[in-house]
Amino acid sequence: MANVDRRQFVKQSAAIGITIGGSAYVSGLMGTASTAKASPLRPPGALAEDDFLSTCIRCMRCVDACPNHALVSTPGNAPGGHAGTPTMKPRKAACMLCLSEEGDYLKCTEVCPSGALQLIEKTREDIKEKVTIGVAEIDFDLCYSYNNWSCGACFRACPLAGEAMTIGAWERPTIHPEACVGCGCCERSCIRYPHAIRVKAVTT
Amino acid sequence: MILQILRRMVQASVLLVMVGIALLSLYAHYRSARVIDDDQLMNGMRGETMTKLIHPYIDSLDDPNTFLNGNKGTLWSMKFLGVSLTDPLAAAEMLATSKRVHWPLMASIVMPVLLAVLLGRVFCSWICPGYVLFELTTKFRKVLRFAEIQPGEVTFSHRNKYIFLIVGLAMAAVCSAPLFALIYPPVVISRIVHAWIFGTALSGMLILLGVMVAVELFVSPRWWCRTICPGGALYGLLGWARPVRIKLRKSMCTGCMDCIPVCEAGINPITQSASIECDNCGVCISHCDDQALYFTIGLPGQQNSQPKKKTRVIAKAAAVLMVGMIPLFAPSQAQAHHVLGLPHYSYKENYPQRPTLEYPATTGPYDVLMTSYPGIPVPGEPANIAMYIKNRETKQVYTEPITICVLQTYTFGDNTIILPSTTRTPFDNEYKVQVTMPIDGEYIVEISMPVEGRIEVIPFLMVVGQPTAMASVVIAGSFGVVFVFVVIRAIQKKRQRRRWAGTHVGKQPDSFAAGKLVTLGEKIL
Repeated sequence: MANVDRRQFVKQSAAIGITIGGSAYVSGLMGTASTAKASPLRPPGALAEDDFLSTCIRCMRCVDACPNHALVSTPGNAPGGHAGTPTMKPRKAACMLCLSEEGDYLKCTEVCPSGALQLIEKTREDIKEKVTIGVAEIDFDLCYSYNNWSCGACFRACPLAGEAMTIGAWERPTIHPEACVGCGCCERSCIRYPHAIRVKAVTT
Repeated sequence: MILQILRRMVQASVLLVMVGIALLSLYAHYRSARVIDDDQLMNGMRGETMTKLIHPYIDSLDDPNTFLNGNKGTLWSMKFLGVSLTDPLAAAEMLATSKRVHWPLMASIVMPVLLAVLLGRVFCSWICPGYVLFELTTKFRKVLRFAEIQPGEVTFSHRNKYIFLIVGLAMAAVCSAPLFALIYPPVVISRIVHAWIFGTALSGMLILLGVMVAVELFVSPRWWCRTICPGGALYGLLGWARPVRIKLRKSMCTGCMDCIPVCEAGINPITQSASIECDNCGVCISHCDDQALYFTIGLPGQQNSQPKKKTRVIAKAAAVLMVGMIPLFAPSQAQAHHVLGLPHYSYKENYPQRPTLEYPATTGPYDVLMTSYPGIPVPGEPANIAMYIKNRETKQVYTEPITICVLQTYTFGDNTIILPSTTRTPFDNEYKVQVTMPIDGEYIVEISMPVEGRIEVIPFLMVVGQPTAMASVVIAGSFGVVFVFVVIRAIQKKRQRRRWAGTHVGKQPDSFAAGKLVTLGEKIL
């Protein structure tokens, strides 16, 4: 009798162990975040990366809500528990700050159920203060305007032109990191391959 | 029976809502990009659905934006008709991971929690799309038996799911990252539907679901729902004191035990219908010929009246209509690159930017970045390939001449040379080369550059067009071979049994075993 019970116990524990191990592997909890190359760009109003990862429930509402399709869900099995979290690749689609949309709030922040994205009002002050997707960086070896040509595409795309980005002789752009929100419109519009201007996540 | 038709209708409408919300979200994106009348974008079944079905409907609404904003998300947490709904498991997990209470989230779980408290585990049996899938899988086991493959009947303890719920939440609390959000079947299915409609990567989700289905099929029937599902465990606990239960009228029960094998939760409805394992699906009620099992509301002994025949007809008609409507919502295959390429919404005028693909590599202190325009080259058309090499430490651009060659590779056989080795010097800090890839396939762009006195060779693998992957051909082929073997084996087994039965029936007419085998043989043949 005791023998049978022990066998039952071993069987059930093995079943649970395999399930937990397998699910942890599938959800990427076993991997470490250090294998990821750079910290990903998060939607506007996102909490600091660690808080964001623990607060976001991976429901994809913001992915649905983004009018410009800029937000995508990180594929499963991504290391460090990143799987399912929203991220953006400005080269494919940049954050438009919902400027041409109706409504009083940025849509992804309005739809977030968990508080991982804090509500942001669609006013210039609120956007400048609270949106911290990242900061744009220019590669001066690639930028046409710094290499004997003249371009200025990024300046014309910038929604905060004049504050986040100013333009000099031969349309040479200059970034002002304190005003740049990291929307990525400049990266999207850059005509160079590979692009000379990139948004890098802010690491605090 | 009416109960089961109703249940199927609810399940079908949940699937419809799931697909519909994803389609509406995609439509909202196109609407924002103002390309809803773009013929090139809107071809295919998905485009037709959007332009012919959704667009006129949305346009006829008074306030289309409110409607579109009110339908977002997956089954994990969704806005449906403007109401925010969240799975209680999601809220429990978020409490564990973030250790803080977010009141809007708590407000959105009130309705599901109330539903569970009043009706028990109805989320499982009436709503969850994973349950539908696993019900179908269980039906498919009959096909396996017909093919003479005996599927496993391993059973696990129903208690395991409560342990898994607690251990999973504890793990989420320790790792500060959710676990259930990525493996919970309704969410996985919801994500797959979303990715299918949006044309984004499915990644490992299909494999995960495939493994679950395989275990259900070959090892243990209803393994997930009965013994693993943390959601089911949570709903079971919430529905501890549910007023709506299945009851047994002892005087009418003949003890035929027809209800035991059909029970979806794997319990004995005669004795255990009050347990938290019961998910109120009502299958046992439909299968009971003696009307001994029934739903009670509130006080025990109360009887609910049978629905009238007219309602039954309406329910049937509605079910047929709903099933008929499903194909309308079936979208076409992924058109991912069109979606990403065309609406130049991120800029006021149309600049000719198309997303470029970047292929990064490192050698010594150098970062090598290959880009190609277009990102996925078109066979037969020239593609511009550029190399940008930069020193990681000194931030100096590499300017020595390098050699570039392009080869086509095959799974079997030698490479062919598309572009023989050519030496290039940088122009505008980039090494540029124009190549025409003749056909769909896999190509290697190989560069050789002197680094610290020796020659480094870096190959970049490039996929052009949409080549048939060798792996998929091999997998499909092996599945075909396995299928043929299974059919042959099934035929042999059936024939053997028939022969055996034929030789033994004359000799031992009284034998119970032989007689049983004969009837079995007749049944099969």
